Amino acid sequence: MEKDLVEYIAKSLVDQPDEVAVNVIEGEQSTILELKVAADDVGKVIGKQGRIANAVRVILSASAAKSGKHVQLEILD
Amino acid sequence: MVREFEGKTEQEAIAMAMTELQLEQDELDIEIVDAGKRGLFKKSNVRIRVYLADDLQESESSVAQEGLDEYEQQVIDFLTVLLDKMGYPGFVKITHRKEGKLALDVVSDHSSIIIGKKGKNLDAIQLIVNVYAGQLNPSVKVIIDSENYRMRHEEQLVKLAYRAAEQVKRSGRSKLLEPMNPFERRLIHTALNGIEGVTTKSEGEGLFKQVRITIDEDLPPLRKEH
Repeated sequence: MEKDLVEYIAKSLVDQPDEVAVNVIEGEQSTILELKVAADDVGKVIGKQGRIANAVRVILSASAAKSGKHVQLEILD
Repeated sequence: MVREFEGKTEQEAIAMAMTELQLEQDELDIEIVDAGKRGLFKKSNVRIRVYLADDLQESESSVAQEGLDEYEQQVIDFLTVLLDKMGYPGFVKITHRKEGKLALDVVSDHSSIIIGKKGKNLDAIQLIVNVYAGQLNPSVKVIIDSENYRMRHEEQLVKLAYRAAEQVKRSGRSKLLEPMNPFERRLIHTALNGIEGVTTKSEGEGLFKQVRITIDEDLPPLRKEH
């Protein structure tokens, strides 16, 4: 499941895995995943020029391709 | 390899196969041998036959490669779980290790989606795995491949570079290749470095620049007179 996937990736990249939370907003055709991490860890999940965030998005859409649903990832800060 | 299982119902037989073989239902290739027709007095058991791909078993055992150190094991585990959570399970094995490099190969039925268009998914997975692995040991770079995609892709790029260089030499007009990452661009530059008559340079901004192949003004190719 996509929520699980994002949580797993985020937890493995941050210093404070306990602070990782993913909120799922289920829509008709698309799902929005809101990722929240500790303030000090935001940079770790975004990366330089958003490289990490973009890679997570690519992985997410590859995974969601199976269900045909559109999944969006938003990082809250 | 073929195995047979029996149960009162089809589901029961499949469930038995799943526990016995430690596989999910969608990983099993099942044929119903005996649908358990109702006899005069009792219902006979359902018999199913399960076909196991031999290579699946083989790759399973090759995961248990000897001499994995803790770092390698952790990286492999991370990647294996990542693929699993993506919904595209596979086996991960080490293809080679060099000073500062660890090359992993993903064996999966879902290789095509794991690689993605132009290796997009594979690159994203590789990046995340490298960020993770960098926390454990920052001096090692992890390279992830599947179905030899990276090697085939490199060969393709070099061929493309040669073809484009020929075109430039023939037409005398420069040619702009499509955007590529630094690694891909370096392959093009190196491939054409030894080709007389053309030069290469990168254009654009950011990570994905484009290589332009032009006629080498100092050493133009010999043009045939007609």
